[in-house]
Amino acid sequence: MSTPSSLYVADPRSKARRRSESRFRLMGLGAVGLAVAALVFLLSSVLGNGLGAFRQGVITLDMTLDAAIIAPKGTDPEALQKVTTIAYKRLLDRELAQDLAAKGLSTEGLSDKAIAGLLSQEAPAVLRRMVLADPALIGQPIRFEALANGRVDGFLKGRVTMESAKLDSNISPEQLTLATVMRDAGMLNLSFNPSFLTAPDASELRPEAAGLGVAILGSAYMMLIVLCISVPLGVAASIYLEEFAPQNRLTDLIEVNISNLAAVPSIVFGILGLAIFINFAGLPQSAPIVGGLVLTLMTLPTIIISTRAALKAVPPSIRDAALGVGASKMQAIFHHVLPLAMPGILTGTIIGLAQALGETAPLLLIGMVAFVRDYPAAPPEGFFDPASALPVQVYNWTTRADPAFMERASGAIIVLLLFLIVMNAIAILLRRRFERRW
Amino acid sequence: MKDMRIAERTVDSQTSKMIARGVQVHYGTTHALKDVDVDILDKTVTAFIGPSGCGKSTFLRCLNRMNDTVASARVTGRIELDGEDIYDRRVDPVQLRARVGMVFQKPNPFPKSIYDNVAYGPRIHGLARGKAELDEIVEKSLRKAAIWNEVKDRLNAPGTGLSGGQQQRLCIARAIATSPEVLLMDEPCSALDPIATAQVEELIDELRGQFSVVIVTHSMQQAARVSQRTAFFHLGNLVEYGETGQIFTNPTDPRTESYITGRIG
Repeated sequence: MSTPSSLYVADPRSKARRRSESRFRLMGLGAVGLAVAALVFLLSSVLGNGLGAFRQGVITLDMTLDAAIIAPKGTDPEALQKVTTIAYKRLLDRELAQDLAAKGLSTEGLSDKAIAGLLSQEAPAVLRRMVLADPALIGQPIRFEALANGRVDGFLKGRVTMESAKLDSNISPEQLTLATVMRDAGMLNLSFNPSFLTAPDASELRPEAAGLGVAILGSAYMMLIVLCISVPLGVAASIYLEEFAPQNRLTDLIEVNISNLAAVPSIVFGILGLAIFINFAGLPQSAPIVGGLVLTLMTLPTIIISTRAALKAVPPSIRDAALGVGASKMQAIFHHVLPLAMPGILTGTIIGLAQALGETAPLLLIGMVAFVRDYPAAPPEGFFDPASALPVQVYNWTTRADPAFMERASGAIIVLLLFLIVMNAIAILLRRRFERRW
Repeated sequence: MKDMRIAERTVDSQTSKMIARGVQVHYGTTHALKDVDVDILDKTVTAFIGPSGCGKSTFLRCLNRMNDTVASARVTGRIELDGEDIYDRRVDPVQLRARVGMVFQKPNPFPKSIYDNVAYGPRIHGLARGKAELDEIVEKSLRKAAIWNEVKDRLNAPGTGLSGGQQQRLCIARAIATSPEVLLMDEPCSALDPIATAQVEELIDELRGQFSVVIVTHSMQQAARVSQRTAFFHLGNLVEYGETGQIFTNPTDPRTESYITGRIG
């Protein structure tokens, strides 16, 4: 520059630089803002749709367990077993009509069947289980909270309206009018619904009874299998590859293939699992053991890659130090390198597990999509029993016609997200706990 | 200059602890060390000097087979410890390194307590029977490394929390806890301030009573201050090896003279 310029005046070059920097900042802010907005939208839509699943419409009945109906042949367990839900339904229908009459609520223009239609078809089964568990209740007056029909539940939550009821063969506006009266009289209300987390899936016709119990158990079993197989296997493989294996073509090939495996679409692992574990090895379909093994295959590359990265990040001076005082290679690795790599390994493992927990496609192929109402037994036998899985349950419910299942699916997503948040929190905590400076 | 002390220095011992003959080192296609013959005397401080990349650290790492950890390194020739070839097939480098300890350029304490840092070597070699004996080894090593008074009240504090000079002395304590016969030091003072350097140098002089010390250094003054014998390396060759006083005052090779007077390097 020939003319001396003042520092107070920005020259064209620095002006251009400053402009491009602020442009970049704006773009960054925009990107972050977009991501946050998308997240907020997702969460609010899931929470808005799904929180309702944790509350369920129930009809409170003050009733007497009439022995003449539900225990015509005495109260010994065998005789009670022979009484089907039909008898309990008769009892419930009668008690509902009596309760309405006792409270002076008008049922004008409604048939007995229409009144009974306010109750869920699941309610008699719940009552029957209660009685079988405690036969001493027979003949006693009890207060029973009977599940309301899914449409009535939807009415309480605003999903079902008078207009939609006109077009609905399952519920009529008159029934809804009665429901309104019952709600005002305190007989019908929304209450917390623990059975959403514990009950098994239910059929198309009774969304109000559907729960996640089997799916949560199935997912937990699969996570257990993934954890027990993929972590030791993955960590051991990475230690060998990173620290012991000679650097040659074969190990290069293995390394490339592991990276490729991490990018293989998950449904391919499902086909592999179907071919190997079910068709070849003869393991049962829909079983957590097969799901767990397939997810293990999927998780292994993630764990191996992150473990190797964690091992690589340990400064070589620590290895030198250990070898310098005469530690063997194995001692150097297990006493010094591995503890330092632990936070990274744990993070990778939990991220891998979280991925596996949310994986759906491979499970569809090995039959985890089946409708399962029986809880799997306790492990290890339970690993071979049919079960469902959380993400598959979500998929399953979204495919059903009744909009009540949409709420259920969103509720299941909330549960799934909660599990993922807990797992990530554990990862962060463990990382803090093990993190050491060097 | 403390270099004046050169004249007072004598070599106490004439027995060779380690003998190297025709040592060549290749890293891949690079010929890093060419035909080196050196005798390391017992209970003597031997300094390796020379410009960067001359092969002095490479040679040092040959003496306890730390080069084994470098996949591309190939060592030929013969290095003996007490008359036994350390590159013999029967030799377990782990056993060798227990007898030939090493201190590195950068202080590298384990991210464990001070006590565990020092106790690690004795533990894995089974040198102590019981806690009391181990405590004793730890205290003795820390005393020898002239750091005991600074850390005796916080043996359970992490070794990485010490200052740079203290960390290096801790590393020295760790190296001497396994009672090696030879102690290799790879520029042990390059990361230290002058005061810590002086402490470490004093320490080296004391350690000479028990083992041979081999020290690689960039500082000619340091070589002159602490060593009895000096080897000058240049471009992978051992140019000159002799008594420190002679190397610094009366070098026979013109390259040595150029280096110590600052004309090459």
